[in-house]
Amino acid sequence: MPRPSFFHHLHPPSIPWRESRFTYTFGLGGLAVFLFLVLCFTGALALFYYVPSLEEANESVQALTFLAPYGWLVRGLHYWAAQALVVVSVLHLLRVALTGAYKRPRRFNWLLGMILLVAILFLNFTGYALRWDQDIAWALLMGTNLLKSIPALGPAVYGSLVGGPEIGASTVVRFYGWHIFGLAVPAFILIAWHIFRVRRDGGISHVEEESQPPRFSRDDLIPREGLATLIATVVLFALTMLFPPSLAPAAGFRRPQGSPLPDDPAAPWFFIWVQELLRLGDPFLMGVLIPSFILAALVLVPYVIDSNDSGVARWFNREGRLAQWIALGVVIVLTALTIVGALR
Amino acid sequence: MSDSSFRVHRSSLIAFTVLAATFAAAWLYQSRRPQPVVLIPTLTDQPEYCLTCHTGIEEISAAHPTDAFGCVRCHGGERLALDEDLAHSTLRGGGNPSDLSVVAESCGGTECHAGSVESERDHIARVTTSVQATYAGAIANVYFAFGGQPDLTARYSIFDITGVDANGHSRTLEALSESENPFLQKFQQNCLTCHLSAKAIDETGFHRLTGCAACHSPSNELGTYTGGDPTVAKGETGHATEHRLTTAIPYTQCNACHNRGNYDLRTMTFNPRTDHPTARLQDYYQPIAQFTKCEWELDCVDCHTANEVMGDGAIHDNKKSIQYVQCKTCHGTLAEPPLTKTITDPNDIALRRAFLNPSVPLSVGDTIVVTEKGEPIWNVRQLVDGRFQSVGKVTGIVYDVPLVKGSTCTQKPEEQESRFCHECHAEER
Repeated sequence: MPRPSFFHHLHPPSIPWRESRFTYTFGLGGLAVFLFLVLCFTGALALFYYVPSLEEANESVQALTFLAPYGWLVRGLHYWAAQALVVVSVLHLLRVALTGAYKRPRRFNWLLGMILLVAILFLNFTGYALRWDQDIAWALLMGTNLLKSIPALGPAVYGSLVGGPEIGASTVVRFYGWHIFGLAVPAFILIAWHIFRVRRDGGISHVEEESQPPRFSRDDLIPREGLATLIATVVLFALTMLFPPSLAPAAGFRRPQGSPLPDDPAAPWFFIWVQELLRLGDPFLMGVLIPSFILAALVLVPYVIDSNDSGVARWFNREGRLAQWIALGVVIVLTALTIVGALR
Repeated sequence: MSDSSFRVHRSSLIAFTVLAATFAAAWLYQSRRPQPVVLIPTLTDQPEYCLTCHTGIEEISAAHPTDAFGCVRCHGGERLALDEDLAHSTLRGGGNPSDLSVVAESCGGTECHAGSVESERDHIARVTTSVQATYAGAIANVYFAFGGQPDLTARYSIFDITGVDANGHSRTLEALSESENPFLQKFQQNCLTCHLSAKAIDETGFHRLTGCAACHSPSNELGTYTGGDPTVAKGETGHATEHRLTTAIPYTQCNACHNRGNYDLRTMTFNPRTDHPTARLQDYYQPIAQFTKCEWELDCVDCHTANEVMGDGAIHDNKKSIQYVQCKTCHGTLAEPPLTKTITDPNDIALRRAFLNPSVPLSVGDTIVVTEKGEPIWNVRQLVDGRFQSVGKVTGIVYDVPLVKGSTCTQKPEEQESRFCHECHAEER
């Protein structure tokens, strides 16, 4: 019996047969890990070009896109992996919610997952802002102004993120710092922890059965992962070449030659739902309280809403109906708001 | 040993092939991207990549060498972008940075064309007050005639402008606002087509750009580009003939406005010429105009000075109040030869102008004609033997300039303007 390689070692020796089927996980967790690794790799490469300053942020993205050999590929893969990660993470959350995989003993891992989801959204937002072009200007202005609406804490939170009384030179550096050291590095650690907890909690969620059915070996799992990775790679490359990420002239924040704000305020697609909420009323209520309430509701799913131990690893299990409705409801409503906003 | 844990399947080979094909596609994508061509102008010291696509474009002028100025200093634009839309998204004035709406940013700067009056580098300030830019005279005449104002003093302009009049008094012209008078409404709609901010009619013979380029970057009759930049579609109209600034402005460029039709005040419309004049003297649009031979053989810029055409810095009521060069400016009168000056300063404005137009060799020590306001007529020199000689700024043709003094002319001393000369010297049209 040969000793397993490092890559084999990252996997459990075997996983339960029933839950190894594609229609149980859809490979979403693994896909998210792969996308995150793509983001780390391409992000590291982009670091060689990116200059976090008011004058050069946008220019350096242009230089990466147009002048660096394969720079377009680095940026395109980074962009598309980031967009895909939002979608995949949400679907992953939905799968876990609908199969009751959040139940004891995996409650804490659900919490880690929620933190990761928030980190991913903010990673996307900070990454989006780092382009520093006129298209991000509105979103940056609205997003940061939203922080000011928080009672008592607002100005301090705003100051710490924006780095001054208004968006300016320090904002680029702050966003750069947050993107990499404030979000990406913690997210990397959290993902490792998340995966570790999967093993520690007894492997992926599965039905505990009296008779031990045959188990699925990692020797068979790895080629499957390889195939999923290959497909994801081809899709990312194709998206990059067919739909390269857009880029506009430098944003005009305190930069005389920058472009002014465009006419239509537009949030990045993953925050269009916030923009739609903001249309409905008070910024603090709509832009801060309601999103926090949604997050809290999701966090509380395994602790308060469905603390049953039964129904694990069963799609639409009876015990978790309320939790499933909440998760589905949140995703459907936010998706609907996103579509409404995008078509506006 | 770990290698035995990877079994080589046919599926692995397929996977490898798919991955290789994906990378090959990326390689192909990269290899089909344009090879960046960098230019680092000495004035900006910032790399720009415009020449990647605009290869072969001609240098704009000897005074603006590409090595020093590059493209972005004047044109703006995204200097690093190799995507047409992005690269051009921040261009000043589209393809024409000299449009008056952006000229201060493009051509301004105290070292450039927004310098001091003394050094005669205040071109932008002068042009924006000139009647070609304000259109003040035409507006005042029509407004007066149709009840829009009580006298002929200019009140309105194409844009708001504040400055001084010829006597140094503060003067403001207001941008035209929509009139309630139906005639003046029609005037505003149909007749504001011939000033420096107006886009030219897109028809043969009318082509000119706006701003400085209206005169200094001449167009051909068709308005097509014939230079070396491969990105400009051959046959596309609305261009200057070449990417070139010149002070040797041919009369044909002046004719794009000044010989292309007339306004009909009864219908308040512009009646564009449909024919294409060939005989310069006979085909002039104003039937009653009179010309002596030199007035239609020379180019307009051979006689008309920079101040007349580009303004002298003061706000004028009409063309008449700024146009002052007469026959006598070069030919003198019965009593006096033309005014002259001998160039002593190597930075003399006459030498600076001659530098831009090498068809007129001029050096320190030369004696040239000057106007009564002191402007140099730097293409008319007095030779050592006392005779006067003019060189065509555009054509380079040399003419002797006969003087009135000592001739058999019977001009009365008090009748010195050109119209009196025309009585005898005008050609039959």
